[in-house]
Amino acid sequence: MSNEFGYIPESPEQSFGNNKGIFTPKDIYDLTRADKYTNYGQLELIETKTASADSQIIFDDIKQDIYNVHFLTVTNFSPSVNQRNLSVRFFENGVEEAGSVYQYAQQYVGSNGAVAEQKSTGAGALRTTNSVGDAVNRVGNGYSYFYNLGDSTKYSFQTYMNDTIDQTNVFYGIFGSGVLPQASVVDQIKLYVSSGTFDCSLSLYGIKEYS
Amino acid sequence: MAGKLVQVATETVTSAVASVTLTGIDSDDVYMLAFNNVVPSTDSVDLFCRVTESGTANSTANYDYAIKLFRTASSFLNISNTNNTVFDLGNNIGTNTGEATNGIMMIYNANNSSEYTFITTEFAEFNSSPELTSWTGGGVFTSNSSVNGLHLFFDSSSNIASGTFTLYKVV
Repeated sequence: MSNEFGYIPESPEQSFGNNKGIFTPKDIYDLTRADKYTNYGQLELIETKTASADSQIIFDDIKQDIYNVHFLTVTNFSPSVNQRNLSVRFFENGVEEAGSVYQYAQQYVGSNGAVAEQKSTGAGALRTTNSVGDAVNRVGNGYSYFYNLGDSTKYSFQTYMNDTIDQTNVFYGIFGSGVLPQASVVDQIKLYVSSGTFDCSLSLYGIKEYS
Repeated sequence: MAGKLVQVATETVTSAVASVTLTGIDSDDVYMLAFNNVVPSTDSVDLFCRVTESGTANSTANYDYAIKLFRTASSFLNISNTNNTVFDLGNNIGTNTGEATNGIMMIYNANNSSEYTFITTEFAEFNSSPELTSWTGGGVFTSNSSVNGLHLFFDSSSNIASGTFTLYKVV
């Protein structure tokens, strides 16, 4: 990395929000890698994955040491087996937590007037969608926020909202939250269906903050 | 710059403080507050929020809100209030291991002095029971004024023991 960043012979201190000088493309590249170049856009894409007849998708580099809050979008989730959720499990230090230890509480409202409260203190996974049908145009879309994944002293939380169309063509709006009540570092996120496969586009973002 | 979050203000609490104030709302854009790992010094207290005008928290009775509270071990609740002096952002937040609140709050029309300031909320907390509690809904500050920030504090004069609060502009 250049010492000067546009100043010769001075070397002003560079930091996010406080850059001085005239920058070459290499300077910008180096400063960006050093997290010292002002380039607003704190919703930072970590990775987009596309599921095509997959039984699971794993984000294995979620940069939990950088972000306190993660944002996941789920687009056009379509299971091969009728009435399947897109479920979430966490990996703690590389080991999948598959026990009945997750908790969630959610409410859904259906276009047919159905309203229900759903909750569990011993679930095997969290949710990003509710049950989706396997026919044409039966899909689920939504988003989740995850909190504290990289903090070994804190539980890992989720808030989410999604909409789904079930096998009988009833639309549901669903919102809720979840938690893995274990103080641990979560370093991978797995999205999966309990049977069959699914198609889907998944994008994981980090919400960056600069102190 | 389109389609991004721009950080406006942030504060990470590592030693107890009475409150956190984030300012910098100066445009008609939508703003977003993200907070995580927020823990009180006193067990079982609510997290409150007031808007600031020119940096000063407004404590008048102009806060209305309607919330759906989901709980994993108890029945769900509808929580509403009109002409309150605060937005209530959480319920009985605990201090034991793992107990904390986390969430996203979107803020609308804050800078516009001819409109009320609206919020939508989605929070997940582990309360003092302990029990997972989800806090989803919205609120409105019923004053035609220019709001430039948020003032966050706990009920019962509890300090904020820890937490990260970041205010973004959605552009």
